[in-house]
Amino acid sequence: MTIDRRQWLTGAGAFAFAGLAKPALAQAKPRVIVIGGGPGGATAAKYIAKDSNGAIEVTLVEPQRQFTTCFHSNLFLGGFRDWNSITHSYDKLASSYGIRLVPEAAAAIDRDKKIVRLANGSDMAYDRLVIALGIDLRFDSVPGYSEAASDTMPHAWKAGPQTQLLKKQLDALSDGALIVMVAPPNPYRCPPGPYERVSMMAHVLKAKGHRNSKIVVLDPKDTLSKQGLFQEGWEKHYPGMVEWQDPKMHGGIKGVDPSAMTVKTDLETYKANLANVIPAQMAGKVARDAGLANQTGWCPIDPASMRSANDPNIYVVGDACIPGDMPKSAFSANSQAKVAAMAIRGELSASRTFPARYTNTCWSLIETGDTVKVGGSYEPKDGKIAAVSTFVSQKGEAPELRRQTQEENMGWYAGITADIFG
Amino acid sequence: MAAKSSGIGLPARACLFVIFAAGLAHATGARAAGDRAYGEYLSSECVTCHLLGGRFAGIPPIIGWPEETFVAVMNEYRLKVRPNPVMQTLAGRLSDEEIAALAAYFGSLAAEPAAK
Repeated sequence: MTIDRRQWLTGAGAFAFAGLAKPALAQAKPRVIVIGGGPGGATAAKYIAKDSNGAIEVTLVEPQRQFTTCFHSNLFLGGFRDWNSITHSYDKLASSYGIRLVPEAAAAIDRDKKIVRLANGSDMAYDRLVIALGIDLRFDSVPGYSEAASDTMPHAWKAGPQTQLLKKQLDALSDGALIVMVAPPNPYRCPPGPYERVSMMAHVLKAKGHRNSKIVVLDPKDTLSKQGLFQEGWEKHYPGMVEWQDPKMHGGIKGVDPSAMTVKTDLETYKANLANVIPAQMAGKVARDAGLANQTGWCPIDPASMRSANDPNIYVVGDACIPGDMPKSAFSANSQAKVAAMAIRGELSASRTFPARYTNTCWSLIETGDTVKVGGSYEPKDGKIAAVSTFVSQKGEAPELRRQTQEENMGWYAGITADIFG
Repeated sequence: MAAKSSGIGLPARACLFVIFAAGLAHATGARAAGDRAYGEYLSSECVTCHLLGGRFAGIPPIIGWPEETFVAVMNEYRLKVRPNPVMQTLAGRLSDEEIAALAAYFGSLAAEPAAK
């Protein structure tokens, strides 16, 4: 990392900054704090700073100094990408757009005082706050599972050491291995993600010449994203290797035992060589503790602006929000962040605003040169973000089209990461 | 598939397409006289995939095109003559005014110098 340290506020510096900028004093510039430096937060910070031309002071609170994307982390698992190619620095957000980077975790929000408290105890004041905290995992949604158990049975649903652990376990398997995936219930980050991951794990086993290894997917859902496409792809590329079970087939997921490496359903106990447990999810803790989430664990928003339904000074974008018909995806977060950025600029700098519009596409790699996609356009309607039109790849498409779709997938990654991180 | 540059900086496929689509822009009455500032706002939807620097990384660059060309291409997607569901979906909800605004904005951008 080559961050100019002067561009980072230390805890003490952040405190001094907040102390000088008391809400009661006249402000030279309105202040926006963004919590979370993933696709939603980094995009919001960049677009507010860029489009306000310095008229708004933007601070990004993110404890990590660099960000590894969840999107395309399955391609890392499959050996299609190296780690560096999915890891990005925040340098340009600071150097090109003047965003203040605060490498601390947010600990709490005082909504009455409009203050963010950092993990180091210092406070920062805001005029508008963007929450882009992503997901927390409900470890206890799978009996026997816990954060400690994820050292043995990785979830790998947040890109980082968990992803590298899963890759290491996958690469170490010998022929005849049994992989058991516990898939998450709706709603969760990246609907096709578990099934692209199954494809990538199967790709690795196949490439190593495994003939007797199996992947069993225990799903709490009756259907899966792009179901026909994935099942067609698994039969075509990995015949006999993948077995997907819905609740009617397994009778219910009863729990896991990390020390015994077992996964128990109502009908059977599987002794796994690799267990990938992806539990249920909810909005990040700071958002929930601040009263921004409802009983679902996710944060309701105004679909025309991404403003929190519970606080007029706070916007929630990305996985933490309730996005109506949109899936929880990086593409969605990026799209939502641009709407929030426009709304915030309009409020704080009286710049032009336009009707909200949203877009999403999710690409999934099944096997080398065989990629499918699903997506749509969305707009505010009937109190939610509603689909205007949607599309999905068709079964039986020509190999050349699937190859072009993979090329598009890689192009999208280059495009969206340039858009997010500068 | 690598797109070769033509004399006016368009991918070869796009140039062929311009010829194909030239009459279409006229037929639909779309004119390229767009609001560049509005186009810059609308462009945030495009740059999730298309690189602003003009590099081809799997998705065609769309900067520096003659505005009429941009309008013609977008109309092709809008009418589903050109087969990409992502672009058909996006173009399908753009008005003539919005397409003209995007054409004005992207048309005004120049490619960044190639990386050394």
